[in-house]
Amino acid sequence: MNDRIAIHVDADLEELIPGFLDNRHKDAARLAALLEAGDFAEIRRIGHSMKGAGGGYGFDAITDIGAAIEEAALCRDAAAIAASAVELSDYLSRVDVIIEP
Amino acid sequence: MTVKSPAPGSDKGSVLIVDDDEDMLKLLRKWLEGAGYKVTAAASGSAALSQCSSVHPDLVVTDLYMDEMDGLSLVTHLHAANPLLPIIMLSGHAQIPDAVKATHLGTSAFLTKPVARDDLIAEVERHIRPQRREGDNVFSRTMIYCSEVMVSLVEQAELVAQGDVTVFISGETGTGKEVLARAIHEASGRREHPFIGVNCGAIPEQLLESELFGHERGAFTGANNKHEGLFLAADGGTLFLDEIGDMPLGLQVKLLRVLQDFEVRPVGSTRSHPVNVRIISATHNNLEELVAEGEFREDLYYRLNVVPLHMPRLAERPDDVPLLLDHFLGLQAKKSGQGRKRFAPDALAYLASASWPGNIRQLVNVVELCTTLNVADIVPLSMAQKALRQEPVQIKTLKDAKAEFERNYLVSVLRITEGHVANAARIAGRNRTEFYKLLNLYELEPAQFRAGSSED
Repeated sequence: MNDRIAIHVDADLEELIPGFLDNRHKDAARLAALLEAGDFAEIRRIGHSMKGAGGGYGFDAITDIGAAIEEAALCRDAAAIAASAVELSDYLSRVDVIIEP
Repeated sequence: MTVKSPAPGSDKGSVLIVDDDEDMLKLLRKWLEGAGYKVTAAASGSAALSQCSSVHPDLVVTDLYMDEMDGLSLVTHLHAANPLLPIIMLSGHAQIPDAVKATHLGTSAFLTKPVARDDLIAEVERHIRPQRREGDNVFSRTMIYCSEVMVSLVEQAELVAQGDVTVFISGETGTGKEVLARAIHEASGRREHPFIGVNCGAIPEQLLESELFGHERGAFTGANNKHEGLFLAADGGTLFLDEIGDMPLGLQVKLLRVLQDFEVRPVGSTRSHPVNVRIISATHNNLEELVAEGEFREDLYYRLNVVPLHMPRLAERPDDVPLLLDHFLGLQAKKSGQGRKRFAPDALAYLASASWPGNIRQLVNVVELCTTLNVADIVPLSMAQKALRQEPVQIKTLKDAKAEFERNYLVSVLRITEGHVANAARIAGRNRTEFYKLLNLYELEPAQFRAGSSED
């Protein structure tokens, strides 16, 4: 589980990457709280945003996880959302960003 | 700033990006600024509307799903204010009904998120039309265009306007040669002085000579008063000689002399008067062919053709058709006092690819026909097709052409005789009774030509 994941990112996005990943860490933290509160609408919004932006920044896995969260929120599937939140945290902990010159 | 087409490293236009996701806005801004666009961001539909009214973007990229106001409502609001604003819709869901609805509302492109940088930039490049800016130079105020062919023509015209060089404008009937000539005058240092246009093909040789160069009192039968002539009337300004290809050979040599010496000698006078006039001439004829056939003097051709400018046919500038339609729809709305109508996207596409044999004049007629016959606010494709089919190419009937010639002739005679009917009738070779009948037929009032009105 501790294998590193190398993601190659265009140099022109370099300055945006830390902020983007920081926001995903915040999403991972919020998902647990939102699940507890049963706020599926906000969970869906988070999933939708991750899905829309992830691939553009070069993180296709974030798009996939976001799509799964959005889908699960629509079905109010708390277990699937919790699993995706774990998956997101795991991914963020293992990702290494390599800036392409 | 003038209208420019996208070009590497230049101002390629401005884009408003709308998304309620902060990371998406940052990403879009980075991509578009990297591609040379000026970018404004809005985090909601309502913020976009208020930004739009202040920054006047050339294109909008918006997310479909947003809280408060979604992308489709935003398109409706934006197009109510500017029906031609290109809008690219991004959506996280590839749902066909949304795409269909977005297209129906006039969205230029529909892309599914996550969108690839190259796909987005390609769509922006394809749809953006950098707008003419308020307060621009005279060309972008008075001419409607965004096509590369017109941008390049106007760049030449701007350079030409700064000097006093003689300009020759070629181009088909209805392409707007006089509009370009006027813009050159207005952009020149002569703008405070008159711009006088004369159609060299509409007036008989003797009258044209007197019209252009003036005449002394008693110079010919009926010339009871001195007439200044258009060269002197345009002194300090610009004289636009339209349909120069139709100028009779006899007059061509006289015109050549004026252009060499910049002095005019009125008919019947022994004295020449210096004139300071810039000459812009135009014709729909091929002057080189006329020179080869001996119908046009070669020396005059070279004297006039110092800087040649060519007005393209409307079919050569399809990118301008939507702008021109929008402009004339606006004028039509003002004229009729009714709400502004617009063409459906498929009608616009159809009209943009039409062949327009009658050029802009034909386009004006099609707009009038469509807005008159169409009751609804949006003119559908079927109506545009019908109007284009029904609208005859603007060639006059022989009867109308004769009537126009006769009226122009009578105006010229009355102008030269300053409204003296007996003299005018004598020049025209008609008795007074017959002459009065003609004046009545064309609703011409001799009194209008008295009081020394010699200008066109």
